[in-house]
Amino acid sequence: MTKEDILKAYLEDDLFIEKSYLKEGEAQKYKWASHTENNLIQIIKTAIEGELSNESGNITERKINTFLNK
Amino acid sequence: MILQSIELNNFMCYAGPNRFDFTEGINVIIGDNGYGKSKLYDAFWWVMYNQCFDTSIKKFKYTNLLKRQIVSDKAIDETEEGMISASVVLTFHNTEKDSLYILERRYSVRKSGDKIIEDQDSEEIIWFKEMSYMNAKEVKEADQIERIKKSILPDNIKPYMWFQGEQVESIIDFNKSDTLTHAINVLSNITRFDNIITVAEGLKESSTKEFNKKQRDLSGDKGKSENLELDRQNILDRIKGLELQDIQIKDTLATAEEKSETLLNKLADAQKIREIEAKRKSIEQNLSEIQEEFDEEQQGLHKRMFTSKWVLKGTENLFDEYGKMYNQFEHKKLQHEAQIQARLDSENALVSEMQARLPIDVPEPIHVQHMLDIERCLVCDREALTGSEAWLKMKALIDRSQMKIKTLEDEEKSVHNFSGDLKKLYQNGLGLSHNVKSIDDDIASTFRRLRKLDKKRKALSDDLKKIESEINSLIVDAALNVSQAANILNEYSAQNELAKRSMNEVNSNANILSRRKEELSKIEAELSKLVIGEIPAYLKEKIKVIEEFYLVAHSTRKRVFNKLVLILEEEANKHYLEMTQGNMSSRGIIRLKELSNGKNYMPELVDENGNVLLQLNTGNIILIKLATIMAIISARQGSRDTDLYTLITDAPMSVFGEDYTIGFCKTVSKVYRQSIIMSKEFYKNLALREQLLTNGEIKLGKVYLITPSIPENARSNRNSLSTNIEKLN
Repeated sequence: MTKEDILKAYLEDDLFIEKSYLKEGEAQKYKWASHTENNLIQIIKTAIEGELSNESGNITERKINTFLNK
Repeated sequence: MILQSIELNNFMCYAGPNRFDFTEGINVIIGDNGYGKSKLYDAFWWVMYNQCFDTSIKKFKYTNLLKRQIVSDKAIDETEEGMISASVVLTFHNTEKDSLYILERRYSVRKSGDKIIEDQDSEEIIWFKEMSYMNAKEVKEADQIERIKKSILPDNIKPYMWFQGEQVESIIDFNKSDTLTHAINVLSNITRFDNIITVAEGLKESSTKEFNKKQRDLSGDKGKSENLELDRQNILDRIKGLELQDIQIKDTLATAEEKSETLLNKLADAQKIREIEAKRKSIEQNLSEIQEEFDEEQQGLHKRMFTSKWVLKGTENLFDEYGKMYNQFEHKKLQHEAQIQARLDSENALVSEMQARLPIDVPEPIHVQHMLDIERCLVCDREALTGSEAWLKMKALIDRSQMKIKTLEDEEKSVHNFSGDLKKLYQNGLGLSHNVKSIDDDIASTFRRLRKLDKKRKALSDDLKKIESEINSLIVDAALNVSQAANILNEYSAQNELAKRSMNEVNSNANILSRRKEELSKIEAELSKLVIGEIPAYLKEKIKVIEEFYLVAHSTRKRVFNKLVLILEEEANKHYLEMTQGNMSSRGIIRLKELSNGKNYMPELVDENGNVLLQLNTGNIILIKLATIMAIISARQGSRDTDLYTLITDAPMSVFGEDYTIGFCKTVSKVYRQSIIMSKEFYKNLALREQLLTNGEIKLGKVYLITPSIPENARSNRNSLSTNIEKLN
């Protein structure tokens, strides 16, 4: 699975439609490089990147915290 | 990666140099039991892992424990002095990089007279050769050797690519909680989703702490907030405890459900085995009684020769003839006695006459003897010369003293007289003659009874054989022995009881958990009310985003996992259907049923309406497991594992029999780019072998027939044993 496949797996969650973060069918077309202002999508991408680069969980958490503390 | 060849030199039963070449497709090595198939499988394993499978303990053993068992007995026996080496060489062709990996393992012993000195361990030599270059390069670095081996067969794939038939049960053990998860891990990178959940959980915990601290900092009543926080922590601990308990109970419930499901499949068989076993015992008891009666009756036959006087059978005429002869004898005897009596009468008359002249012993015999000696009668004073009439008269006086009246009894004493015995015989015969007449009836009735008992005995014996065969086939099909079957019902009821109890506990726990959560909400609401001022917007947003991340991380992991289970299920069904084509009895659809703890899965066979098909036999279960193993591999087609690695398996078909063999081969040749299969199914069944060699749906590689140089029953040791290899295509 590529990082884009993993991201799409998350974006397919109903929550994204319920909360209007994405429109119907948008998740499938989503590209890793697609620009987004959505914090949830941003931190999911950070978590995926951390996981794929075998980063420790603590470092990923710190990165996400830093991002959300802005 | 294609396995091009295996070369075996003095390895176990492969004495001398031996070679098998392989190509893409399904390569089959055919041989009966004990012909060297497992030893060939061992050879592959030995080169890679320095181990061979010990069937007696069902475990792999390292060379340092096997030592000279690695080396051919024939090679050792034929060498008088010096070193004997066993070696196996595997040649792999990396078709993508057009290079070869040559892996060799060697083990040596030294023979000195009768003494054999064993090396401690084997020696491994790995060569790498790029096809465009002439020379091969020896690989010496341990890391690189490890990398090469991993590229030939990665650890996570290994159990599903190289296995023996008898290992199939344990490779896919659905009773173990992690079997399917492990399979899914091989199939996918689900662990990445697990790791992201860990990150989400960590973030949720830290952000909640941050938020609570902020709330307390902004509290209008810090003392109350502190107390509420303590209460909150207390309830949180309890909730954690309850959640942990919930997991444990659900695990217990899942295990009980799994066991019940497994037992349910065997329940009907177990009941049947128990019923048949009871019937068998009763027949056995009857048979034993009848046999005893039969044996007694048969032993009694010898006694009856005398006790029932059977020995006299057919002697009726003999008695009559004897009677006649005895009558004649008696008649002659009477005549003879009359003659003797007449003679005696005349002799006795003479004696009486003599006794009438002078009394006996008068004169006394000494005086008479004196007169004889002097040849003169002193009574009348006359001369009596020896031999004269007077002298003879005197002598008669002496002889007369020895004469007496004879009777018939005296006469009879002087000859052999069997008269009494013959009479006794006649009288005995007379007594027995009445029995003799009924002997035939007695014999006939006894033999009638014996025949009846024998018939009954044979019928019971046949019944017993039939029932034993029925019970044996049930035991084989159900993989249960009699005592296991006897325990199944109790175990099933116990597991059901445990499942019910666990279910009640889950419900009760859920109620308590829900109350605690309500309490927690109230405390949090109170804490929130105490806040004066504004919680920073970034923190509110952070809490919201992290909560959403937490939810999405969990639900996505579950969705991805379920999707993988579905893929696995779909692939398994595809293979199961292919393998069972041509055998209607085992049709069904494999469904992987999620158990209560949400972690474990149980395979079920359902009909097209979703009804569970019960009473799966061992063959069905093994087919399902093999289908699942193939599914794990074929579902990875994106990663091209099926192209990269070779399936090597020993006797995978032995458990499910010949009906599925061709289906299995077709499926294997579709799923795997290359496979090497050791099989006995094609050994005796020549029609099946012909199908293998000619079936267009099977992508066939090389087919070999292996046979021992000396059959097992014709050898007392392995000192002359080698293996003949015949190419069949």
